[in-house]
Amino acid sequence: MQLLISSVCMALTSAVIGNAYFQKQQFYPAVVYITKSNASMAVIYIQFFVIVFMLGKLLRKIFLGTLRAAEFEHLLERFWYALTETCLAFTVFRDDFNPRFVALFTVLLFLKSFHWLAEERVDFMERSPVLGWLFHIRVGSLLTMLGILDYVMLMHAYNSTLVRGPTVQLVFGFEYAILLTVIASTAIKYVLHAAEMRTDTPWENKAVFLLYTELVIGLIKVVLYVLFVLIMAKIYALPMFVFRPMFFTIRNFRKALNDVIMSRRAIRNMNTLYPDATPEELRQSDNICIICREDMVNHSKKLPCGHIFHTTCLRSWFQRQQTCPTCRLNILRTPAINSTAMPRPADDPAAAVAANQAPVGAAAAAPAAVPADDGQANGPLAVANIPAPSFADLFGDANGLPNLNAFQPIPPPPMPMLSAFMMPPQFQYFTPPVPPPPVPLDLSKFTDEELRALEGQQRQHIEQRLKLLANITLMMDSVGMLMNQYQNMTARLQLTPVPTVATTGVSSASTDSEGATASPSPAAPVQAPVYDKPSTSTAAAAAYTAHQINAAPTVITTANAGQGEKVTIEDLGAEEDDVPSTATGAVSLLNTSDADNGDEESSELNVLRKRRLKFLDERNKPQADSTTTSTYPD
Amino acid sequence: MAGSALRRLMAEYKQLTLDPPEGIVAGPISEDNFFEWEALIAGPEGTCFEGGVFPARLVFPPDYPLSPPKMKFTCDMFHPNIFVDGRVCISILHAPGDDPMGYELSAERWSPVQSVEKILLSVVSMLAEPNDESGANVDAAIMWRERREEFNIIARRLVRKTLGLPT
Repeated sequence: MQLLISSVCMALTSAVIGNAYFQKQQFYPAVVYITKSNASMAVIYIQFFVIVFMLGKLLRKIFLGTLRAAEFEHLLERFWYALTETCLAFTVFRDDFNPRFVALFTVLLFLKSFHWLAEERVDFMERSPVLGWLFHIRVGSLLTMLGILDYVMLMHAYNSTLVRGPTVQLVFGFEYAILLTVIASTAIKYVLHAAEMRTDTPWENKAVFLLYTELVIGLIKVVLYVLFVLIMAKIYALPMFVFRPMFFTIRNFRKALNDVIMSRRAIRNMNTLYPDATPEELRQSDNICIICREDMVNHSKKLPCGHIFHTTCLRSWFQRQQTCPTCRLNILRTPAINSTAMPRPADDPAAAVAANQAPVGAAAAAPAAVPADDGQANGPLAVANIPAPSFADLFGDANGLPNLNAFQPIPPPPMPMLSAFMMPPQFQYFTPPVPPPPVPLDLSKFTDEELRALEGQQRQHIEQRLKLLANITLMMDSVGMLMNQYQNMTARLQLTPVPTVATTGVSSASTDSEGATASPSPAAPVQAPVYDKPSTSTAAAAAYTAHQINAAPTVITTANAGQGEKVTIEDLGAEEDDVPSTATGAVSLLNTSDADNGDEESSELNVLRKRRLKFLDERNKPQADSTTTSTYPD
Repeated sequence: MAGSALRRLMAEYKQLTLDPPEGIVAGPISEDNFFEWEALIAGPEGTCFEGGVFPARLVFPPDYPLSPPKMKFTCDMFHPNIFVDGRVCISILHAPGDDPMGYELSAERWSPVQSVEKILLSVVSMLAEPNDESGANVDAAIMWRERREEFNIIARRLVRKTLGLPT
């Protein structure tokens, strides 16, 4: 087919030239005759294109050999787009339209095609099992030749623009500049691929280099396109013909930028969050990275879910998705939640508690810890109405924010103890409110650090596990106690109606739900001084602070203190330290010892209490102004 | 040392050759290009596709196994989860980002843990048990659901066609 066309063309051309020469007999008259005749010129033009096509085939044979089907398909596709864009460009430069102009555009398209082919070839390197020396010679010489041609044409366009002012050469200069960037990125890719091929082991940083190459080249291209559009819009008209390539370039650049960001995040996580797999762990597993199906000798990472992969494989996967390839555990979830919940750590009890207690240096909790530090710096403030609003708030917040665990401190399986409180409506009659048992931990929402603390065979890991188990038992105990309380109370309510006290001055201490029911909280004024000094002795303070603490015995006292309180409900004027130690025998013994001898508490406990109080102060500061005044009417 | 995608494909090819699953043959069309495979899938026994041998083509992306391959039957197929042009529509072949049918769980999407073998096995089970809720071929889905007899007749005709027997 092609042969037929070219031979027909050849025949036509020779006929035209022969005819002209036969008629005019001399060279110059013959040339003049041909150029004057439109039909002859058409034949000559077609012949010109056929020659260009043949030259292209020849060069392809030399530099590329046979094209693969995919290469040919891509070439054709891009060629047609480029052709339409060229036709669009003609509309802008219709004044300059002449054979020279067409020839220049043909050359441009011709060179462009070879750029695309070179790109495809270099991309193919990564997929080909065997590449001979011929391949390298071909690609090397092709890249060099294209680079030189681009440079020459760019310089030509530059000089002509300098000499003759802005003409159509502006477009060519710009196009060749773009082609130069293409050649540069292709050459870099070639060098990277070739370097990897020379080594026997996979080159780990190649992907990163490629990524950054893409980013830089993309940036240069975007800048070039924007400049070109601006200049063209200023001098001629809006260059419609570059919009399509510009759009794709910008999209690629965005993708490259995104990739780089994701990759950086993945690398950072890999370096900070996940431990290297130990040789024992590798031995225990089947020692094959499921991503690349190759042995893991070194450089492998263990994810929180226990699956082990090559560092590089994991990194390239994390660029796309932040899940474990095997079990799809979302490994970036913790930091993501931190960032979304950051604006409101202060009214998020668990968050602030965690932040108060967590080591600030911990990577995951760092953002949340910052505002909390401010709270600590402010120091404890005396706020009268701490218990009531905090309960209401805690209740709402804890339910509204399912992922509180994200804020849990780093070493801390027992943290859930702090996270939330249950506030059964009946308890609003009691003062101070009965500290309910902590809401159990949702085990599926462990943070990475917590999980890691639980894994492994080291002593501290086992200790952490035991701690968690102890906490679970505690929760069970407290649930039982609470149930007891409920039963007792309902029995009591049936016998004696609960006295409703109209202590208006005090009731304002409570807010929200409790305030609405105007429940008496005679304890509030008493508590005010109590909260000045965290380690004082009232049962309320003890109970309130105690259940913030992880230590096992204190949690028991929490529940017990509640029971102690229950006994005192009827003598409303009673001080909290007057908790009768009769009601529940041994239980209240614990309670009173905790309540009365607060100073004898372990120093650790006190520290925790202080932190908790600071946090509460910080939380309630906004309300303090309005409430303290009403709490102390006189 | 070649690219990681190539090495992984070579490893999978080796494994499929050494230990082929029942009713499945797969390998690169030419050893020059490991990114295009041909697979032959035997119709699962006890179904209307029993006895057929269905050729398919798998095209792997350069970043395999991070992205899933594309699979296309090269013979005529009539199945709720196979497009009329032969493209296979199963969730394991979809990257987690995109969701052409709008309801797939990300848990059943592509992940590097999957392999050619797993894809082909899922295709076999898809042949045995079509999912008539994701209609890649709505006609086939409706027929499969409402006029099973007719569907079976068409399927059997396809089977004979793949075997080169007169229909």
